[in-house]
Amino acid sequence: MSAKSNDMRSTAEGALSRRDFLRTSGGLVIAFTLFGPAGPAGAAESSPADAAQPSLTPPPAGKLYAWLAVHPDNSATLFTGKVETGTGVQTALAQIAAEELDLPFDRLDVVMGTTSKTVDQGPSYGSMTVRYAGPQIRQAGAAGRQALLDLAAKHFGVPAQQLVVKEGTISVSGSPDRSITYGKLVDGKRLNIDIGASGQQFGLKVAPNARPKDPSTYTLVGKPIARKDIPAKIMGRFTYVQDVRVEGMLHGRVVRPYGVEATLVSVDETGLKKIPGFVQVVRRENFLGVVAKTEWGAIQAAAKLGSTLNPSGPEAGQAKWSNWSGLPKMDQIWETVRNTPAVHSSSAVSKGSTATALASASRTLKATYKTPFQMHGSIGPECAIADVKGDRATLWSGTQMPHETRRDMAKLLNIPLDGIEVRWFEASGAYGRNGLEHVVADAAIMSQIVGKPVRVQWMRWDSHGWEPKEPPIVQDLEGGLDSAGHVIAWQHHMWVPTTGDTHLVAAALIGHPDVTGQTGASGRAPVRYAYNFDNAEVTSHGEGRVGLLTAWLRSPAQFETTFAMESFIDELAAAAKQDPLAFRLAHLEDAKAIAVLKAAAQAYGWESRPAGAKADRSGKPAHGRGIAWVNRDDSRVATIADVMVDPSSGRISVSRVVVAHDCGMVINPDGLKNQIEGNVIQSLSRTLHEEVAFDTARVTSLDWKGYPILRFEEIPDRIDIVLVNNSPEHPSTGGGEPSTCPTAAVISNAVFDAIGVRLRQTPFRPESVKAAMS
Amino acid sequence: MPQQIALNVNGKSHVVEVEADSMLLYALRDNLELRGPKFGCGLSECGACTVLMNGNAVHSCIIPVSAVGNAKIVTLEGLGTAEGPHPLQKAFIAEQAAQCGYCINGMIMQAASLLKRNPRPSRNDIKQALNGNLCRCGTHMRIVRAVERAAAERVSE
Repeated sequence: MSAKSNDMRSTAEGALSRRDFLRTSGGLVIAFTLFGPAGPAGAAESSPADAAQPSLTPPPAGKLYAWLAVHPDNSATLFTGKVETGTGVQTALAQIAAEELDLPFDRLDVVMGTTSKTVDQGPSYGSMTVRYAGPQIRQAGAAGRQALLDLAAKHFGVPAQQLVVKEGTISVSGSPDRSITYGKLVDGKRLNIDIGASGQQFGLKVAPNARPKDPSTYTLVGKPIARKDIPAKIMGRFTYVQDVRVEGMLHGRVVRPYGVEATLVSVDETGLKKIPGFVQVVRRENFLGVVAKTEWGAIQAAAKLGSTLNPSGPEAGQAKWSNWSGLPKMDQIWETVRNTPAVHSSSAVSKGSTATALASASRTLKATYKTPFQMHGSIGPECAIADVKGDRATLWSGTQMPHETRRDMAKLLNIPLDGIEVRWFEASGAYGRNGLEHVVADAAIMSQIVGKPVRVQWMRWDSHGWEPKEPPIVQDLEGGLDSAGHVIAWQHHMWVPTTGDTHLVAAALIGHPDVTGQTGASGRAPVRYAYNFDNAEVTSHGEGRVGLLTAWLRSPAQFETTFAMESFIDELAAAAKQDPLAFRLAHLEDAKAIAVLKAAAQAYGWESRPAGAKADRSGKPAHGRGIAWVNRDDSRVATIADVMVDPSSGRISVSRVVVAHDCGMVINPDGLKNQIEGNVIQSLSRTLHEEVAFDTARVTSLDWKGYPILRFEEIPDRIDIVLVNNSPEHPSTGGGEPSTCPTAAVISNAVFDAIGVRLRQTPFRPESVKAAMS
Repeated sequence: MPQQIALNVNGKSHVVEVEADSMLLYALRDNLELRGPKFGCGLSECGACTVLMNGNAVHSCIIPVSAVGNAKIVTLEGLGTAEGPHPLQKAFIAEQAAQCGYCINGMIMQAASLLKRNPRPSRNDIKQALNGNLCRCGTHMRIVRAVERAAAERVSE
């Protein structure tokens, strides 16, 4: 059976449809194959765990074929261990490669993630793909172009310097009749050419001797080229991991414990056999699931055992769980976090003596900021397929770290790494480590037990309940002003449970919690302090797991620390009766920070006045503006927003957002703007709505009613974006998440400007706003 | 017990063997192997599974197959053809109105239903029509622009 594929790769047939071009008036360059040679819907993936296979080891990074294949029809494939998570990096990386190769963009297909075909370039997270994988692919592309020139030099018997390349065709300079395409030159062979490589993952250096293009000659990089993946997604022809079907597979559903650490007491299988398609219960220690021939059968069987939206207790279903209730109380979560011993304490700055300066200050302020557990909340629940037979396993997964997942599954299943392949397919957007790494473990355990391929998709409540969460954080700040309104002391303490707990739920359930994963308390303070106060102390108390399993969510912990830092400086500015922009600028030396703040202010039309100077306390709807900025891993973002606050309802509406964004050289400006808009909307949602609810046994916000996110009626009228330092002399940093960081502070500051009330705890739901006002 | 049930999907008659009380979404995805409608919540809360039923947008995750009867079902795959994408599909591509794209099926199907009953919707009409559809990537601004673009091109089926 042929593999279903989203590839837009050219074939003899595909080359005809490649001539489908759509153009728009927006300056966007759109050139794509609208209907590529994707297999017919429903074409099944083969089940390779059965077959004798060549090595499943990733290709060596120092060989050109690890990165590039050239096909006889003069198209090419880029191979990368990075994966698309909805952010458009597939297209950005293809732009970089096609640029170096002098290949038309629509002739370059990208294979991502699949472990037997790609080099491990590290996980696709932390806004690090363009920054770190970009140069790796740029060098590989440059090496590829040089190798093709060398082949052509031999072919024509002339020095490579006499050759010119245009759109995948090499010609002898001055003899246009002497030309050959890349495809003919390579003639279907593997590019078994040494290009050199050292280091690994993010630190991997590829083809150190290759000379990439002069950026001034770029024709693809820096252009708003339409994304490769979007047409298939719009036409219903894209294959998400949720759409993959494997021959002979069964449908599985998990039945999670009622309480987070409850143990399985008994399973009553009465009536399960009457469910059409039901195959069997799968149990290993506290891991419980069902498999059936149909998805509906699996859902019905899991429901009987207790997998429903609102089970009434640990004995509500036919699976009986122990009565576990060891979670902290929700209304005491910040006290719990504050009182949890630190694993790592780390200092972002320690300068002068804050104690002495605070004692001498003419005015001091103190505030505590609190943020709750939040979730990734992918629209498509986590899904994976596993086919485990003996010492072979094939895993179809949408993980952000396929190579890591391969290593994890070797440990979990106790089979040799060489027998494992992760076939990567894109999933519903995850924005960090959601449950995709966990569901592959669920599927793997079920398949290992039943001996057949098993597809597991979590139900909505499995995802809301069991995906790793962003942790609750509590932060104390204290500042001192001198008589001139200058900050002379700044103290910021944060208590931060781990954002990197990679233990797998399934591993814990089968009784081997530590077979893979780490608690991952960070040794680095999740904040970038950049002010130049004479006396400053910023300390992070990094903790292990507190309550629920937690892992990184878009700008992990820095969304929260930016909220506190950039709201509290606004408090100081207001106390000093100074304009909040001028106040920040007066305390900054970072030229890039100053540049984004000024760029945002100019785009917005900022007029100088103290925050809250016009605050309306009459009870009528009032307008306010807020500003904040961040340095997230060297990308600087400044955001300004206009809000209306209705004191009678407590409702905050956001009318306009302006973002000035400096991530250096931008590969695809439209792709970046799509990301910035997404960050703004998602972080508004986190600011206004989102809080995971739980009792002492379990998460209780198990659907979109319990965990509401922002809806269309609440979106801003405008999001204006200014790109700063978008030029080759500023190397690319990251764009996937930095613009999340300022939002909560911006909104808090704008609400203060509107009605003179400080909001120091997210989410700013209407009832919280009204409570803060009273 | 599974029964043979006739469904009219994307202009063709199909017979699927499913349980009568199972949901339409699974018949479309698992029996007919369609990829447009998505499982999002199974609770009629997110809109990822939206299809057109006699021209109206419905959540296929809570419609039992037995309730479909002779209704004409259209999925994202059936909205446009290879030769002629639906104006909404063209507009969503032109506006690059997707990130992960998982919700986009629901956005387009809901918008198709809107444009059928209201060919010239205001921005507020669009927001209200899509208010039950969740997008986690935050593509809302582009989705609204795409529907406006399609409407401006005088969509009517």
